[in-house]
Amino acid sequence: MEIHIRTSGHVTILDLNGNLIIGKSEESLRAAVTQLIAEERRLLLLNLAEVPTIDSSGLGAMIKSFTSVQAVDGKLKVVKPSRMARQLLSITGLLSVLETFEDESAALSSF
Amino acid sequence: MQKSAQLKIVNRFGVTRFLPLNKPVFTIGRKAENDLQLLSDTVSRQHAEIIYQDDTYYLVDVGSKRGTYVNDQRIQRIGLQHQDRLRIGGDDEQQIIFLDESVERASAIFDSSPSLTLSPSTRDRARVTSANEELQKLSRFVEVNQAFKFSLTPDDVLCLIVDAAIEITGAERGFLMLRNEHGDLEFKVARDRYRNWLVGNEFSMSRSVVEDAFKQDVSVILNDRDEAASYFSRDSIRGLDLRSIACIPLRRFQMTDNMDATMVLKRDVLGVLYVDSHVAGGTLTQTSLKLLESLAFEATKSLESVRLMHEEQEKKQLEQELNMARQVQVALSPVVTKEFPHFELATHSIPSRYVGGDFYDFVSLKDDRAVFSLGDVSGKGMAAALLAAMAQGALQAQFTSNLPLSDVITSLNKVLVQRSASNRFLTLFCAVLDREGHFTYINAGHNLPILARTNGATESLTTKSVLLGAFDFVEYKPRQTRLASGDVVVMYTDGVTEAVNAQHEMFGEERLEQLIKDNVHLSAEHLKQHILDEVLAFTAGLPQGDDITLIVLKMK
Repeated sequence: MEIHIRTSGHVTILDLNGNLIIGKSEESLRAAVTQLIAEERRLLLLNLAEVPTIDSSGLGAMIKSFTSVQAVDGKLKVVKPSRMARQLLSITGLLSVLETFEDESAALSSF
Repeated sequence: MQKSAQLKIVNRFGVTRFLPLNKPVFTIGRKAENDLQLLSDTVSRQHAEIIYQDDTYYLVDVGSKRGTYVNDQRIQRIGLQHQDRLRIGGDDEQQIIFLDESVERASAIFDSSPSLTLSPSTRDRARVTSANEELQKLSRFVEVNQAFKFSLTPDDVLCLIVDAAIEITGAERGFLMLRNEHGDLEFKVARDRYRNWLVGNEFSMSRSVVEDAFKQDVSVILNDRDEAASYFSRDSIRGLDLRSIACIPLRRFQMTDNMDATMVLKRDVLGVLYVDSHVAGGTLTQTSLKLLESLAFEATKSLESVRLMHEEQEKKQLEQELNMARQVQVALSPVVTKEFPHFELATHSIPSRYVGGDFYDFVSLKDDRAVFSLGDVSGKGMAAALLAAMAQGALQAQFTSNLPLSDVITSLNKVLVQRSASNRFLTLFCAVLDREGHFTYINAGHNLPILARTNGATESLTTKSVLLGAFDFVEYKPRQTRLASGDVVVMYTDGVTEAVNAQHEMFGEERLEQLIKDNVHLSAEHLKQHILDEVLAFTAGLPQGDDITLIVLKMK
């Protein structure tokens, strides 16, 4: 999986590209978020548009990212999950905690 | 000026690095800010310092928990002597040796650094010897590795290769780059001749030399500025003032089947080995070039064998672990033999080859209340099975002490959050059924159980609660429904709905719901069997991907 990082105003957007599953991809997400927090970037938006599959480890990485951003009074939100990803977030009850958007500009203005 | 000294650090695989003691106070500890960071738990965050004073290096313990040792004697402050062995806390991952370079130089028999004024022939012979030694060392490592199943990682092998290449050529720096999955070269090792890792802008090198070696599969040797003129004009190498460069492709040879059933030897380039130096001419002789090429050949072989061995080892370890996990899982599954006055219960659990953390439990409480729980821990193998066991134990203990469902789940969640540093979560459906048919449940991120009424209506049982082990601030609130005679509740894990057929389709919730609806008249046992048969027929002999756990409850 590749992660491209860009910014829009105060928000840092992580464009994820590839499956977010056990192994390198979950590790690189955690590493990227840790790095961004260290750079004092605390408003993060995960763009899942190009992420076809998320498994339980990938979900774990998202949850850990969320809690570590929250621990520094930041926010982590999600935009454009795939149908399967949305279903996963819904079944696991994460939609009640992780703010999720279909549209990037709506997501950005919510911060 | 400070007397020059360094720490020689040898890890348990024999990979050596040197850290120069180039400041008045050199710090050691577990925190990243230390000059030497040691990750062992037995090392304090700020553990010890090496202080330079009156021409002596003193090792000082700065209030560590587990102590600082020199030659196995615990010390508070001691002047270090050449070849002293340091131990920091209980860290036995590496050997740390203090080297006083003034002593070192005087006693050196052979020093491969170019500053030594050996005649070329002597130097070459010395290099040949040392290179042969390195080659031997390398193959010895692989042998040892195979013999004792040490976990020599591919990274350790790469380090050895680069160090050997630098030594063979007398170069100043060495790089090893490997092709990644996109076909681009990636830095794997960048070291100087003192076996230090290079950082930041020390990485600048001749890209065009590397590209030629990699893409055209040729060794590129540049021995002086004239020879290199064409290259130097092609990239920014002028700024680097490099005088000699060698870059060797790492080739892999493989026998592969041709279309017409003949075997062909295919060769591809896995990466490159690159060394360079500011010293002009003569550094790279024909002999050292030959050695470098055979080193590259050995390197590729070692890499391949280490990679294969690792795969083999990981597979074995995983299988062992999974066997144990399977035993844990089987041991924990309750055997329901009792007859209940107001409901029938049928359960089934098929651990997959890759045993996940599925568990189900059934506890019968006073006044004919019954607790059903069905959970799935993220991840697989032993750790998942143990966490499942822990959750199951906690649930049993709390229910038997008569706590309400919401308290039980909320506190289980808190426990899991505290323990889930390892990235594990639990989805759980938990329900209490009383004699009157009141069915009180919490669904924490689990697949939605299906309630089918005798009149053909179905419901998915959800409380929209988040999975356990993720957020400690969540309150878990139950819902309640009333089950009437003949009503059926089917609880399951994702092994059922995510079973995949040959066309990559999933069994899915809808199919399951329809199946239950159509067969609501069957007994619990028959309905369970019918669902399992349908799932197996659907996947038609394909290997089972995930654990399949199924609980069917039917009101009498």
